[in-house]
Amino acid sequence: MKPGSGPRWTRSLRFRLLAATLVALLLAIALAGGLLAGLFRDHVMRQFGDTLAARLDQVTALLEFDTTGQPRIDTTTLTEPRWSRPYSGLYWQVDGGTGAAQRGVLRSRSLWDATLDLPADAVAGGAVHVHEGLGPDAARLMLVERTVKRDDAAATPWRLIVAADLGEAEAAVARFNSVLLASLAGLLALLCAAAVAQVAVGLAPLRALQRALAAVHEGRADRLAGRFPDEVQPLIDDFNHVLDRNAEVVARARTQAGNLAHAVKTPLAVMSQAAATARLRAEGAAELASLVEEQVGVAHRHVEWHLARSRAAAAQGVPGARVALAPAVAGLLHTMARVHDGRGLAFVCDPIDPGMAFAGEAQDLNEILGNVLDNACKWASREVRVAASAVTADTGSRLRIVIDDDGPGIDAERRGAVMARGARLDESVPGSGLGLAIVQDLASLYGGNLALESAPTGGLRVVLELPAA
Amino acid sequence: MRVLLVEDEPTLRAQLRAGLADAGYAVDDVGNGGDAHHLGANEPFDAVVLDLGLPVLDGLSVLKRWREAGRTMPVLILTARDSWHEKVAGIDAGADDYLAKPFHMEELLARVRALIRRAQGLASPLLQCGAIALDTRSGRVTLDGQPVNLTSHEFRLLAYLMHRPGSVVSRTELTEHLYAQDFDRDSNTIEVFIGRLRRKLPPQTIETVRGMGYRLAAAP
Repeated sequence: MKPGSGPRWTRSLRFRLLAATLVALLLAIALAGGLLAGLFRDHVMRQFGDTLAARLDQVTALLEFDTTGQPRIDTTTLTEPRWSRPYSGLYWQVDGGTGAAQRGVLRSRSLWDATLDLPADAVAGGAVHVHEGLGPDAARLMLVERTVKRDDAAATPWRLIVAADLGEAEAAVARFNSVLLASLAGLLALLCAAAVAQVAVGLAPLRALQRALAAVHEGRADRLAGRFPDEVQPLIDDFNHVLDRNAEVVARARTQAGNLAHAVKTPLAVMSQAAATARLRAEGAAELASLVEEQVGVAHRHVEWHLARSRAAAAQGVPGARVALAPAVAGLLHTMARVHDGRGLAFVCDPIDPGMAFAGEAQDLNEILGNVLDNACKWASREVRVAASAVTADTGSRLRIVIDDDGPGIDAERRGAVMARGARLDESVPGSGLGLAIVQDLASLYGGNLALESAPTGGLRVVLELPAA
Repeated sequence: MRVLLVEDEPTLRAQLRAGLADAGYAVDDVGNGGDAHHLGANEPFDAVVLDLGLPVLDGLSVLKRWREAGRTMPVLILTARDSWHEKVAGIDAGADDYLAKPFHMEELLARVRALIRRAQGLASPLLQCGAIALDTRSGRVTLDGQPVNLTSHEFRLLAYLMHRPGSVVSRTELTEHLYAQDFDRDSNTIEVFIGRLRRKLPPQTIETVRGMGYRLAAAP
C-alpha cells in the first residue's frame, strides 16, 4: 500500500505506533499467561498424583491374603481420619478380577455405600495406572490403581485402587489462575500506559515542529525556532536554510525590482519632460528624436545590467551545479563565427581537457565567456585565441581561461576604466559597454576573478579565473 | 530580394516591414509560428528575419523544422532574449545571425544584406560586374564610376542578378524573389524592367538565354 492511501487513522504516526505496541503486548502477555497457567496446573497435578501413589503404596503394604486366598486389609493402621469419614474425598477399594460382582470386595469406610467404577484395563503386574473418573456425589476423582496377586501363578489378580477428590487441586489451580489473570491485566495496563507515554514523548518534537511550521506559515516567525532531537535537527537546519535563502532571494528581488524601476523611470521622466517641451515648440522634432534615442539607450543599458545581475544572483548557491568547459567554448566559438561572420576572423582554440568543468550554471558560463569572446571579436583584426588550464589555488582548484585578441589592446592605465559599469572606450563599435563589467560581476559572484593584460600579439588578453568542478 | 518577416508584435512588424521595404526588399510578413513555418517551407526567400517568442509555434522550433526539411535560406534571429546562452541555442538550431532587441534599423539592414551576400558566397558588400558596380550598403549603382539612375524595381532586378553573376536566372525565379506573395505577379512586367535596364546599361550586359531566362554577363 502506498503511504497515505489508506484511511485517515492509519496515516497517524501515533496510531501506528500504539497499535503495533498493543498487538505485540497482547500477544506476549497471552503467551506468558497460557504458559504459566499450564505449568502450574501440571505441577499441581503431578504433586497430587505423587501423593496418591504414596497412599497406594501404603494400602498395598497393608494387603494380606487369608488361607482361602481372599484379600484382607488391616484398617487400624490407616490413621488418616479421611479414610473412615464418609464421602471425605479420600478412598481405597480392592476389586477382584474384572466382573462387576467382584467390584468393591474390600473398600474404605469413607466410600460408605458407593463403589469406585474403573474401566477394564489390561495391566501389567505391579505397574501404577492413573485414571480420572466420577466418585460419590458425582465428584471428580483422580484414581490410581495397581494389580497384585499372591506369589503362586494360578492365584486371582486383585486391583488395588486409591482415589482422591480433584476439587482441592482444581480449586488451587483456579485460585492461581485468577491471581495470574489479575496480575497480567495489571501488567498490560502498565505497559500500555508506558507505550502511550513513550509515543507521546517520542512524538513531542513533531508536534513542536508542527507548531513552529504553523508559526512560519502564519507569519509569526521567519524560521523554525527551537532545538530538536538529533534525528530531526538536520531536516530543520535544511528547512531553515531554504527559508533563509528564500527570504534573501525575495529581498534581493525587491531591491532589483526597485533599482530597475528607478533606472527606467529616470529616462521616462526625461522623455516625458522633453515631450512636454516639444509640444510647445513645433520645430524641436529632430532634437526630441535624438533625446528619445539617447534615453532609450540609457534605459536599455540599465535593463541589461539588472537582468544580467539578477540572472547571476539567481544562480548563486545552487549546489552541485557543474558544466563542462569544452562544449561551452565550442558552442560559443561557433556562435561567434556566425555573429561576426564577414570579418574574416580566425578562431584558435587550444585543445581543452574534456574533464575540465565550471562549478556553476551553464547560463552564467556562457554569459561570462560570451561577453569576453564577443569583446575580443569586436576588436580583433584577424585572430582570437582561447586557451584553458586547471590551476590549484588556496581556494581550491580553479579554471584559468585566457582569451587573446590581436586588436589595438588597452593601455595599462585605462584598463580599470573599462571595467566600470557602462564604460565604452570607443563609441564607434556597437555594444552596450557593459560586457566586461558584467563579466567581472558574474565572476566575482562565483568567487572568480577577471584580469586584463597585454596579449603577445599586442592586443588585449583577458584572464578569467573561475571555480572548477 | 524577397524577405520573410516573422514578428508577433504588430507595431514592430509594421516598422520592420516599412524599413525592409524602403531598403528595396519584397517583404512577406506573418505574426505566428505556424504561418511562418508554412510559408518558409513552401516559398523561396532570400532571407528570413525571425522572432523567437511567437504564438502557435515558437521561433526556434520553426527554424529547426525548416532546417530538418532541408531549407537553407539565411535566417536572422531577432529577439529580446539576448543572453549568450540563448544566442548559442539559436545558432545551434540553424540560425545564421542573431540580433537583440532593441536594435537600430541600420544594423538590422546591414546584417540582412550581409546574410544574403554570404549565402551567394560573396564577401564584399560592393558587387562588381565588369564596369558596373553595385554598393549594397548605399544602394548606389555606378557605371565606370558614373552614377546610374535606377527606379526601385530596376534596382531590385539588377541586385538580384548581380548576386548571381554568370548564372542563368529564370523569369519565374525573378518573379518569386522580387515580389511578395500578395503582389499581383505578371511575368511580362519582368520583361519590361529587363528592357529598361538594358537601355541604361552597356549592351550585352543582360543576355537572354532562350527558353531559360536571363544571365548577367561576367565581363562584357
